[in-house]
Amino acid sequence: MKKLESNIANMAIVLTAIAVVAGGLLAWVNNVTAGPIEQINNQAIENGIKSVILGDRDIEFRVEDPTEKEGFVFHNVYDMNDNLLGTAVESTDKNGFGGAFKVMVGFDSEGKILGYEVLEHSETPGLGAQANDWFRQKSGEVQEQSAVTTLLLGAPGKPGNHNIIGMNPGDDMMTVSKDGGQVDAITASTITSKAFLRAVNAAYKAVFGYTAADAVSGASSQN
Amino acid sequence: MNYFKTIINGIVKENPTFVLLLGMCPTLATTTSAVNGLGMGVATMFVLICSNTFISLLKNLIPDGVRIPCYIVVIASFVTLLQMLMQAYVPDLYKTLGIFIPLIVVNCIILGRAEAFAAKNNVLASICDGVGIGIGFTIALTLLGFVRELLGNGAVFGYRIFPESMNMLVFVLAPGAFITLGLLMAIVNSVKNRKA
Repeated sequence: MKKLESNIANMAIVLTAIAVVAGGLLAWVNNVTAGPIEQINNQAIENGIKSVILGDRDIEFRVEDPTEKEGFVFHNVYDMNDNLLGTAVESTDKNGFGGAFKVMVGFDSEGKILGYEVLEHSETPGLGAQANDWFRQKSGEVQEQSAVTTLLLGAPGKPGNHNIIGMNPGDDMMTVSKDGGQVDAITASTITSKAFLRAVNAAYKAVFGYTAADAVSGASSQN
Repeated sequence: MNYFKTIINGIVKENPTFVLLLGMCPTLATTTSAVNGLGMGVATMFVLICSNTFISLLKNLIPDGVRIPCYIVVIASFVTLLQMLMQAYVPDLYKTLGIFIPLIVVNCIILGRAEAFAAKNNVLASICDGVGIGIGFTIALTLLGFVRELLGNGAVFGYRIFPESMNMLVFVLAPGAFITLGLLMAIVNSVKNRKA
């Protein structure tokens, strides 16, 4: 077959035809995949709620329908006797190292952090991307190393303090230690650490109205 | 036309990364670990094979005056399709590669092969070219990711080999990508020159 001539009618018809076929195909695939995608997202939220409120505890619970306010999403979690187990808050900080940083934090009724889960991030793999583990590692846990390593490289360094589970942003200064806070930043990832802690503090503030870090860093947090 | 030769050509003689130096943006951005490089390579290969096939099928139907917009529509459709399928069925991979998938549309390897090969050859040869270039790109990205992960993170495909204190962080960051790519290209060129 000879190649179609480049006149205006041919060009318009071919381009339109290709666009229509492509559009139709995409609509169909979108229709097919919409269900599974939604299911996966819901599953992720549900697992997140379970993990940040219950942790390892295995008890029956129910989640109230989520409420939304100023960009935060709240999930209140009750046990079967209708006692409030805690509130899971989805909170986003726009200024991570690679973009928005979305985290879900669980607070008990007094504001103590029960757990957290990083939902979305664009941080550097190997550095900021460790946030999901870093802030729940107990002091010294990271520094565990084998006897061979110790022989080759010497004793492990001073253990840091970056486990935020059990802290209360209302009483504790939840900023990086460089800013006078109580949390050690991820090595070489201070920007990520700050974004993470800002998101956690904002989540707390959205539920309880104030944070301990507010009073001190109110002025500098604009930087 | 020797189809096998076309495939080998894409992997060795016209390797998109080491020889043609196309698609540098995803090459440098996604290769922070071997798995990410592999995932990006396979995703690009999928789009490349599909777009090569269709463009070669439609080459006589598409008037020269609108060929670029037509190619882009075809490529963008396959990328969006891939994005939705990945999101639905391999969410973990999608989470790591998420922001780079839409960028496959503007990856110049794909438009480059559509222009340079698929628009001039038959369907079977175009598929072979897609496979060859795709494999070449995948190998290059995996290799780059492998070196960067090993030096920067002390791990291979996620398994730790060196202790954390021996990591050279620079290799995970952007400068490390350029350094690694330059060194790998030097090695590839020196091997090629020795052969010739």
